[in-house]
Amino acid sequence: MMDDLELLKKDWQKKEMNHPKLSYNDIHGMLWKKSSSIVKWIFIISIIEILLPQVVYLFPSFWSNDGMLFYSNLGLTNPLLILSIIYYGVVLYFILQFYKRYKEISVLDDAKNLMGKIIKTRKTVKNYVFFSLSMILVFFMTVVFYIYINDDFIKTMELSGKDVSEISKEKLENIKLLSMVIFTAVGILFTLLVGFIYFLLYGLLLKKLNRNYQELKRLEV
Amino acid sequence: MSKELEHDFVTQLEHNQNVVHKVCTLYTNDRDAHNDLFQEITIQLWKAYPKFRGEAKFSTWMYRVALNTAITLYRKSKRSVKTLNDETIFFKIKADEYDPTEEQQLSLMYKAIKQLNDIDKALVFLFLEDKNYNEISETLGISEVNARVKMNRIKSKLKTILNP
Repeated sequence: MMDDLELLKKDWQKKEMNHPKLSYNDIHGMLWKKSSSIVKWIFIISIIEILLPQVVYLFPSFWSNDGMLFYSNLGLTNPLLILSIIYYGVVLYFILQFYKRYKEISVLDDAKNLMGKIIKTRKTVKNYVFFSLSMILVFFMTVVFYIYINDDFIKTMELSGKDVSEISKEKLENIKLLSMVIFTAVGILFTLLVGFIYFLLYGLLLKKLNRNYQELKRLEV
Repeated sequence: MSKELEHDFVTQLEHNQNVVHKVCTLYTNDRDAHNDLFQEITIQLWKAYPKFRGEAKFSTWMYRVALNTAITLYRKSKRSVKTLNDETIFFKIKADEYDPTEEQQLSLMYKAIKQLNDIDKALVFLFLEDKNYNEISETLGISEVNARVKMNRIKSKLKTILNP
């Protein structure tokens, strides 16, 4: 076997690959092609992940003036403002962290280190996603909580132009309960959906990387 | 990046492209995937080129980037291990050196190597490129002792593949 490998080594070094040689222009043309490396995909996905919750989190603006009034009538203006400030502060922190990780990654590192750094980057993104998913949940739960403690929920209903005086008290209680259930359900469903997409995406993207990283790590034991 | 740098880089890569082709041949199973990986390695080399200041030989510097791209950064992994056909036999056979038994033996060994996992292939590649264990350990980020142990395991793995 040893001799075979030595023989192979000689053969390997002696011979040219059975592949058409690329010209100067062929190679030159490749320089500006788009990279499809894992790191680039992690970067793209992270940007999408940072942008996506913004759309959802800015829900009130979707609901135009009526929506804003709905929130302020519920007494939600301040809690939402505080949530926003916390949220954007933490998002900024994550963006900086992510940029730092991204800068650390260099193809000139040894293979194991490089894989380790990519996995670390993924962890940063993972923490971010965990945070933003929690924020979505917190947002929905806050609304539910304020509906619950708000006795004047009926007033906020009038905003949508319906005359509520004709509806019985019992029915109004039911509407309140229903609103809470719907908000909770939508919040949970949405969180699960985004979480599922995320794990699917990263699972597929890093399957090979994880396998190779484990293989190198196994050697250390 | 300046035109001069660009010209230097392309000229050097054109001269040393055989190394990249070898990596691509080990890690891919068809021509499309080969070209795809070649392109990705070229992009990664080009991105890292400003950091290359000639401390090492260009070809030596290339090993690291090429292998990192193949085993770490490259996204698409082969979907299935296809049965290798004649087209994927690695080398052109020079008529004057043709020795049927030896040629057949080598071809079997190349096929066996293609069945190894990504990391094992990297080790075999560096071994075939006549790198010593110190260089192998530095490129992969494992200790020299572990590189030796691993290489011995690969040898027995290859033996098992060849003599089932």
